[in-house]
Amino acid sequence: MKDRISVLMDGELDDRSAAQAIDALAAGSQAGSQAGSEARDAWRTYHLISDALGKSRMLSEGFGERVAAALAAEPTVLAPRRLGGAREPRRWAALAAGVAAVSLVGWLGFAPQQPAVQVAKAPTPVVPKEAKPAVVALPSGTNDYLLAHQAFSPRMSLVGMAPYVRTVSEPAREARR
Amino acid sequence: MRTRALGAALVLATSVAQAQSPETLAWLRKMHQATQRLSYVGTFVYQNADRTETSRITRYAAGDIEKLEVMNGVPREIVRTRDTVRCYLPDSRVVKVDRRVDRDFPALLPEQISALARHYDISLAETQRIAGLDCQTVVLQPKDNLRYGYRLYADVKSGMLMRADTVDAAGKSVETLMFTQFTPGNVTPDMVRPRHEGKKWRIEDAGAAPAHLAGWGLASELPGFHKVTELKRRLGESRPVGQMVFSDGLAAVSVFIEPLESRPDRAATGLASMGAINIYTREVANHMITVVGEAPAVSVQRIADAVEFRRPTQ
Repeated sequence: MKDRISVLMDGELDDRSAAQAIDALAAGSQAGSQAGSEARDAWRTYHLISDALGKSRMLSEGFGERVAAALAAEPTVLAPRRLGGAREPRRWAALAAGVAAVSLVGWLGFAPQQPAVQVAKAPTPVVPKEAKPAVVALPSGTNDYLLAHQAFSPRMSLVGMAPYVRTVSEPAREARR
Repeated sequence: MRTRALGAALVLATSVAQAQSPETLAWLRKMHQATQRLSYVGTFVYQNADRTETSRITRYAAGDIEKLEVMNGVPREIVRTRDTVRCYLPDSRVVKVDRRVDRDFPALLPEQISALARHYDISLAETQRIAGLDCQTVVLQPKDNLRYGYRLYADVKSGMLMRADTVDAAGKSVETLMFTQFTPGNVTPDMVRPRHEGKKWRIEDAGAAPAHLAGWGLASELPGFHKVTELKRRLGESRPVGQMVFSDGLAAVSVFIEPLESRPDRAATGLASMGAINIYTREVANHMITVVGEAPAVSVQRIADAVEFRRPTQ
């Protein structure tokens, strides 16, 4: 079951297995279900792990971008799967899983363009027609661009000089230039 | 964490109903006035998914001078006066000087604050304690996916902005700026003087001047983003570039245009990001186009893709 929960979190479980896993999670909230409580423990643990990862500084450079690029190639990952003919509680659980998946992407510093929030109101979605862009390293001299840009950011007047802290840590490159 | 995201989504959803009350706009004005009026010394933290940095900011209101010292990472000190921004880089012994072309420009005027309501639903949320102060939360929820949302936390008493979260479409913070310590008052001119003033460092003056970049423009503007300025400047040691700035009143996107031959290297076409900043690079008509903005990747890319050169007819 633990493996299934993990795969479920990744959104890669097929409809039938996903429904079973979600049922198990739902059962976990009632006392007396061994498989259910195991499933719920796994669910909590895996999310704790992802949260902990979010706070760590140990991700390799560009990790977020690479994941973002991989996700961009598979846009359906962001959307909760439709479970045909699912019963009411199951759909709620699937929705929660969908929100979790979006949040997981969020902590990677990537802005998914499918806002979960806008489900609640009538959005005016702007669908990008362009192909998903290649993800590249920050251009050389990024700090120069940032300095030149931030002087014109109207946000400056709300946040004082704070936006000027946005620079790239590249001491070697800065020293060489 | 998950439940908090859900909670935020619910708060944002319910806030739509009571958006843009005069009270919420009054809070934005109060924040704006506080940043203009107060002298203070504060320590604040900048955080994005990849890193955390601590800085000290000192503001001397009577002279309208601010000094920012970055405490970790690349050492640097930035001093902004009414018309100049100077960035001191001890590692490379360089001072970058940027004169403000339009000295009033960055100020967010009261009428602009009302205009923000066109692109954002603005509402008040709960109060929170930050750096020992009770803070009012103001939520700016974008009306489309072309801009980020913001959660602003302002000291109830002074209106000073104590924390600002930039929030993506999923409600997650992509960037946080937060005071961890804040002491208003008692700032002398000495305290905002650059520490490295008077040293014989190399000066890189951007030489920014308003200009018309003949032939350059956007095939189509991004909804809500209007061109606010156009100038020529130097970047790095002395590369000449053109810069156009587009803004919706809160977020800004700069388009830098530079001849390929003056670039030290060929930058790769594509998207790079850092916190709330997205950077998209591409070539147009033998020029390198670098678009930099605190806007979602889709906005930065769309502006970059719209950049075109039409040979001026005459």
